Amino acid sequence: MNDPAFWDRLQFAFTITYHYLFPQLTMGLAPMLVYWKWRALRTGDETCARAARFWAKIFGLTFAVGVVTGIPMEFQFGTNWASFSRYSGNLIGQTLAMEGMFAFFMESALVGALVWGEKRLGPRGHFAAAVGVALGSWLSGYFILVTNAFMQHPTGYAVAADGRLHLASMADYLGNPWAFALFAHNQMAALVTGGFVVASVGAWYALRGEHPGQSRLFLRTGIAVGLAASVLVAFPTGDTQAKMVASHQGAALAAMEGRFHSGIDAEINLIGQPDVREQRLDNPIRIPGLLSFLAFGNVQRDVRGLDAFPKEEWPTNIELLYYAFHIMAGLGTVFVLLMAAGAVQLWRGRLEQSRVLLWLILSAFPFPFIANTAGWTTAELGRQPWLVYGLFRTEQGVSEVVNSGTIVFTLIGFTGLYFVVGLLYFSLFSRELRRGPVEDYHD
Amino acid sequence: MIEISYGILVFMLTAFLVLEGWDFGAGLIQFLVGRNEADRGVVISAIGPLWIWHEVWLVAFGGMVFVAFPAVLASAFAGFYLALFLLLWCLILRGVAIEARGHLHDALWREAWDFVFASSSLLIAVLIGVALGNVIRGVPLDAGGNFTLPFFTNFGVRGAIGILDWYSVSIGIFVLVLFAAHGASYLTWKTEGVVHDRSARLARCLWPIVLLLLLGTTVETASVRPDLFTGMIHRPLAWLALVGVTGGGLAALIGQWRRSELPAFAGSCALITSLMIAGAVGVFPVMLHSTLVEANTMTAYSDATDAHGLRLMLLWWPIALVLAVGYFIFIYRYYRGKVRVSADSQGY
Repeated sequence: MNDPAFWDRLQFAFTITYHYLFPQLTMGLAPMLVYWKWRALRTGDETCARAARFWAKIFGLTFAVGVVTGIPMEFQFGTNWASFSRYSGNLIGQTLAMEGMFAFFMESALVGALVWGEKRLGPRGHFAAAVGVALGSWLSGYFILVTNAFMQHPTGYAVAADGRLHLASMADYLGNPWAFALFAHNQMAALVTGGFVVASVGAWYALRGEHPGQSRLFLRTGIAVGLAASVLVAFPTGDTQAKMVASHQGAALAAMEGRFHSGIDAEINLIGQPDVREQRLDNPIRIPGLLSFLAFGNVQRDVRGLDAFPKEEWPTNIELLYYAFHIMAGLGTVFVLLMAAGAVQLWRGRLEQSRVLLWLILSAFPFPFIANTAGWTTAELGRQPWLVYGLFRTEQGVSEVVNSGTIVFTLIGFTGLYFVVGLLYFSLFSRELRRGPVEDYHD
Repeated sequence: MIEISYGILVFMLTAFLVLEGWDFGAGLIQFLVGRNEADRGVVISAIGPLWIWHEVWLVAFGGMVFVAFPAVLASAFAGFYLALFLLLWCLILRGVAIEARGHLHDALWREAWDFVFASSSLLIAVLIGVALGNVIRGVPLDAGGNFTLPFFTNFGVRGAIGILDWYSVSIGIFVLVLFAAHGASYLTWKTEGVVHDRSARLARCLWPIVLLLLLGTTVETASVRPDLFTGMIHRPLAWLALVGVTGGGLAALIGQWRRSELPAFAGSCALITSLMIAGAVGVFPVMLHSTLVEANTMTAYSDATDAHGLRLMLLWWPIALVLAVGYFIFIYRYYRGKVRVSADSQGY
């Protein structure tokens, strides 16, 4: 109870997990909005224009919740992680400030025009607004991921005389190879969410026999994006990411796979429960050699287990890390299968008759959110016990003057407030769904 | 370079207070100028499409403090922990209220969210004033750059101080009235019909009070932080700002009586800008004044980050500013003219 670092971590984890439910949807929807607007602009296709109008409203609602839940993230660097801010503000402040200056100004100026400005801006202007919003939302993601990549794999820094970090090279900081891998993987994961949500809404209308034209378009676009993104999120982006973890965060990789002992011909564990005290994996189903191959491209290659690392460098929650990683990877596999089945039926022109498949697509919408959350849980727990990998430990980063009770209080406050925000979002979202994509111009 | 970084921060905070100040002001007088749901809807429409863009100035300001003076950000944010979370929750509720209101055409629903919107706007205005009051009065910084403050103690400004004392509370009230007058001036300019008339009447009542309170708080500030004024004597920029304060205040006041809406509103913006410049120039280079020992005071010189990082920030910031000004021109052209409810509610 009386460990401020624990509560600081829990509060940050809770608020960031909650917050990220919304940006992953807006980043996932934005390219589809651009695509529909482009189709409508080029061919005058009214179905696409109407779809863009409908999803722009969902986008606006999601964006607003993303904004209000995002402000606490920036605040917490100062309120809860003051020592970390002093230590590395010269670097991570750069990207956090750039996010505000370059991305947020652009997004927030244009999002109103995207949702309400179709008539006033005309087709070209409105298309440009959609492009600007999409660009802003992805740019914002990039700056945040550079910040996170620095914590995962610090580059471009120098240690000053007072022990704090200073920016040595902006090019190395912004061009962190980890950031590119992370960005590619994360944006594909956001597109999985976007594709699944659009397909799921399409399936809902199809099952109810409503808005046939729109439902067909949603299913087509959603499944196309969902299938492509589900494949890309695993290969090459997830694969690249895993290889970076393997070469730079050996202890994290070992914990993700529940690998307590080093050795050659390392296996992948499909299921199993890690027993950290006994240092073994219970009830495993394994594929020998696959981990060696995936991590280093050679089935014979030795992969270090946790025994190769001193205990104080082990991730602090090995069980959760293991489960989070396996949930992400398992769901990712199911996503490819589901979307492939959808694509086959779509290609045969029989999707609208396959009620079972439509039901599956409809009920699949929560799972990309779960997979995204599990993926981030993997990344952030794998980074432990470091706040900046190899340089600065998590418990060094907290605000010295803030005590546990105060953090518990604000955490409870956030829980209540976010419960209300979630209820509101859910009810307003379902109201828009019931109304459906029916509107022509929005005045 | 440190001076330029400090200037950028002052510029960004000022932009936030001027722009989002009228949104807060319009919000906190919403029930005074809008007696029914439709009239309150006019208030929301007047700020609706712009408030997020305005609030980004706060986020961007926070980011810039983070790059340039991370130690100051760390000390201030950790020290004001609970007060900041209160501000944060109000900002969240206010944003949610604006968004939620528009989605349902139901009078009771809208009244409820209007109440959330108005009361959070009011609390935010007071909290901003109290925060500024605390920065001017100073905080009990120790040698490690740490401090904590209780919400209140005996309301004195010396010794065992709290966040609320007679000085910070009076600055809070001043900012509340100032934002209300600023918001009323904005609504007078931006709306028509009954909301316009009520706003104009309210602005005419509020501006004399603002100027009286300004005199009062100036005297108070002179007793709490005398060095702020001695600092101003040697700095010509501060004299210019004082001219701006006088001119802006008079323009805001007289403009309302002469029914020249835009000059009055411009005067209101100029007043807030000049006040911020005068204060910032007066206290420079002090960023967080220590009430314990002068040696613990955090200044722009002692707590700026590494020069290389600052230099790079000064390289990319102007580019971002040019872009931001571009969006500014775009949205103000886009939303120009008076708000018309029927054709122009923008869904808010």
